[in-house]
Amino acid sequence: MTATETRVVGKRLPKLDAPDKVSGRIQYADDLDIPGMLTGAILRSPHAHARIVSIDVSKAEALPGVKAVIHAGNVQQRPFGYGHDNLPLKDRKVRCVGDEVAAVAAIDEATAKRALGLIDVVYEVLPAVVDPLEALEDGAPLIHDERLDIDGNVSMRWDFETGDVDKAAEEAAVIVEGTYSSPLAAPGAIETHVVIASFDRSGHLTVWSPVHMVFMYRKELADTLGLDWGNITIKQPPVGGSFGGKIDIDTHDFICVLLAEAAQRPVKLAMSREEEFIGTRTRQPIHFKLRTGADADGNILFRDTHVISDNGAYNAWGSHAMLVAMNTVTSLYRVPNSRMRCAVVYTNKSYGGSVRGFGNPQSTFAVEQQLEEIADALGRDPMELRIQNANQAGDVTPQGLKITTCGLTQCLESVKEASGWNERRGKMKDRYRGLGAAAFIHVGGGARIYGSDGCGAMIKMDDSGQISLISGSSELGQGSETALAMIVAEEVGVPMSKVRVIHSDTDVKPWDVGVHASRTTFVAGNAARLAAGRARDKLLAAAAEVLGKDDLVIEDGVISSRSEPERAMPYDKAIRRLLLREEGNVIMSTAFYDPPTENQDKGYIGNISATYGFGAHVAEVEVDPGTGQVKLLNLWTAHDVGRAINPSAVEGQIEGGAVMGIGLALTEELPVRVEVGELMAPNLHDYGLPTMVDAPRIHVDLIETNDPLGPFGAKGIGEGGLIPVPAAVANAVADAVGIRPRQFPLRPWKVLDWIQTGETSNVVKGAGRG
Amino acid sequence: MVEVLIPGTLAEALGMLADREGAVPLAGGTDVLLDMRTGRSDPTVLVDMSRLDGLRGVGIDGDLVTIGAMTSIRTIERDAELAARSTAVPEAAHVLGSVQIRVMATLGGNLCHATPSAEMPPPLLVHGAEVDIAGPDGGRTVPLADLFAGPGATTLDPGELVAAVRYPAPSNLGSCYLRQTVRWSMDLAGVGVAASVAVDGDRITTATVALGAVAPTPFVVGGVADLMADDPWDPERAGEAGRMAAAASSPISDARGSADYRCSVVAALVPRALGIAYRRAIGGWPVGRFSPTNGLVEEPA
Repeated sequence: MTATETRVVGKRLPKLDAPDKVSGRIQYADDLDIPGMLTGAILRSPHAHARIVSIDVSKAEALPGVKAVIHAGNVQQRPFGYGHDNLPLKDRKVRCVGDEVAAVAAIDEATAKRALGLIDVVYEVLPAVVDPLEALEDGAPLIHDERLDIDGNVSMRWDFETGDVDKAAEEAAVIVEGTYSSPLAAPGAIETHVVIASFDRSGHLTVWSPVHMVFMYRKELADTLGLDWGNITIKQPPVGGSFGGKIDIDTHDFICVLLAEAAQRPVKLAMSREEEFIGTRTRQPIHFKLRTGADADGNILFRDTHVISDNGAYNAWGSHAMLVAMNTVTSLYRVPNSRMRCAVVYTNKSYGGSVRGFGNPQSTFAVEQQLEEIADALGRDPMELRIQNANQAGDVTPQGLKITTCGLTQCLESVKEASGWNERRGKMKDRYRGLGAAAFIHVGGGARIYGSDGCGAMIKMDDSGQISLISGSSELGQGSETALAMIVAEEVGVPMSKVRVIHSDTDVKPWDVGVHASRTTFVAGNAARLAAGRARDKLLAAAAEVLGKDDLVIEDGVISSRSEPERAMPYDKAIRRLLLREEGNVIMSTAFYDPPTENQDKGYIGNISATYGFGAHVAEVEVDPGTGQVKLLNLWTAHDVGRAINPSAVEGQIEGGAVMGIGLALTEELPVRVEVGELMAPNLHDYGLPTMVDAPRIHVDLIETNDPLGPFGAKGIGEGGLIPVPAAVANAVADAVGIRPRQFPLRPWKVLDWIQTGETSNVVKGAGRG
Repeated sequence: MVEVLIPGTLAEALGMLADREGAVPLAGGTDVLLDMRTGRSDPTVLVDMSRLDGLRGVGIDGDLVTIGAMTSIRTIERDAELAARSTAVPEAAHVLGSVQIRVMATLGGNLCHATPSAEMPPPLLVHGAEVDIAGPDGGRTVPLADLFAGPGATTLDPGELVAAVRYPAPSNLGSCYLRQTVRWSMDLAGVGVAASVAVDGDRITTATVALGAVAPTPFVVGGVADLMADDPWDPERAGEAGRMAAAASSPISDARGSADYRCSVVAALVPRALGIAYRRAIGGWPVGRFSPTNGLVEEPA
């Protein structure tokens, strides 16, 4: 398939918001100042599990400068979260260190913090359960003893089965088994969470929040606080990085509104870095006990996995990461039989939210290591085994995913060639160097998890010729604003400079699910393209009246006749000719795009995305056999992007994702003190976000499969860059020093321990290579 | 509210420290300000040393190197003469924090904050450094090892300041600083290892190893000179030195690694550091070039 001829789409253009961000001119939420605004602060639990015996706020209330002190006893609030298991301000119990117990609004930060110190909370400390395996034991302390609808500490189960796994295991020539684990990690955005809430005299609530599922946020705010959701405006200042952390509402958002209500003044609540780690959502640890079997020819026969998601104290988005993890277990490569038994377990610690990749890096870490273990056991080259088993266009996976366009084989061939795989893998052990690969599948055409997976778009053209796209979507640094402007410029036929993208607030924007699941370019892009096409048709109709021709085209802002090219006019003149007359009109258009997908049924079968993204990475590492340090020397990536709307931005997304994956693979972790459930080191230094020095040269190959449903052929690519990195790095370490790293991050002491103890592949059936 | 005093001379600074109880000297501020911000300290008076130009700069007189306490880590990192004559010192400076931090941070501040994992003490210890201390009752000079009393504690008396660090850097001496970290920059050492080796031809005349982050204070490992001296390079003895160093270590277990792990790393890094120091001493290493931070290079010939 050849790409449509384009003038703007496919060009390497700088991001529209880059100059103001780079020069520090952009105004983030924390830069905003509302007259009369107070500073909020939250009193958090120091205990992982405790009963709240009493709260005395009288001394805090008496402190001059304090305008409101709130706690569960003096506010109206309802439970929120999946299973309605959480409250903005905890009433009976705290269930993790950092739980919100009370909050203060005061004239400045120093006063607010002093007031927190004057609040007297009496706790009765309860035994804490930090390890999910302990939480599953009979007689384990019940973290949500009020929930009669669940079994012990298991808040959810996600069970899937297709084919006959047990029969396939009997037929398999080789089976490998192991448990693969991931750590508690954080999104790690530079901007911490900041929210401002203000009620006007009529009772209308305005909230400024760098959130990106803004309509869900508004509904949850209203539902939980008993407000009228039609009387709330959510304004979205520029987002200083999210990576999923700012996807949706969090406890402090509710608390800020409660403070503004109690104080009858605007209130700003800004998280410190420490609070960001302790009090906002994380990527929860997940443990995959996985078996993979293949026949003697290397065809994968089955995957069988028992998963424990160590979800933390409450069910936020993290509880649903299993949806995405499941796609990889059932649908990465052709796997006829698969079984997944998953328990989402409450523990007394920081609870999981939505972080870029959303369950997939963890799942891919297990699945793609076993792919190489199977290959090794069969004496086959793992890249060849991948190509042999690769998904192909036209496949429908056992989970019902309809693979339309599929560049997986091309991606594998690309990284194999670029990395010198055949010449170098397994041949650098004398220098402790190795190559490892991993591929991924991820939604690339939206992800239907609600009734609608749609996004609205509106176009207006004004008398200057400025074209505004008002999109339901949000820009959070991923470059969607630029991509959407390019799509509109292309579709209308004007230069990029004529298009502005507006996504300011819920009063202005048409409805959208929000930014998640790598869906914005695909879904918001299709909506923008539809609206732009409708506006262009109106524009050409207006020009047709003036030019007296109906075979008009528009290119670079000039409307002309195909048959008589000298009959032409600038497009903005056509707008004015339509507008500035009696009974005139202005050009506006709307569109709503909801991808042709289906919700999964109760057995988790259904085509949730209109297309799927694929990619493959090869990592090259050097392992220090004395210290266990792993140095990533090279990362080759190839991604099926459908079509790159803006190749520079696509490469930037893939590279940025890869660096995030490098952090996951090697350094990022929030260790928890097991006895007390508190984070050992909630700071950016110990957390181990990678720096530029930790990022090697990242080679990016864009594979364009021109998806027929994508806007100009594009697929979503927001998360793919990071998904295969931990698996590829682990496989490279296995190649370099012959160990099998079953936990990420591969912090040096773990690697040294595995080298010293000889942690290797566990082939439970069939001949192992060694 | 914090009061900031800005003396123009060392005498004035010493007078302010003597007059104002609890006054804290402020050098680059990369530790003091952080401690204030996180509530670890709450001083009411800061004495800003930034105008004391006499305490700033690198001087080399014959084989003797003198570095003023207010010299920035960045200056030390980029000094070509230091890189040629006492490579471990700028090599350690090179891995401390980020460029922005190195521009602000000072040698005196790094020593006086007395963090067990600080980068600068081990390389200075293997060069046999002494510190010049200025105080209300005049000056005194002590071996660097005697400056450290424990984590975050020095033997300085109230009102005393470190003015300069001095050490010999003879041309037959090579030195090296290596460290283990979780990430490859902007990290504190899990283990810091410095080594120096002096030679006569290819024969080792003396060797010294100093460690950071594996004991309450940075320290020199005893017995290394006796083990290595009077013979040419011997990898087995270097390995033995590593085991000795590990045995002399008493690290804690924390978020940057367990005690056992840190001892393993000491055993691995000490022979590498000695090997690189030896190569530098015999001229088998490009002058002034730093090693990879974990020293993972081809073994010396």
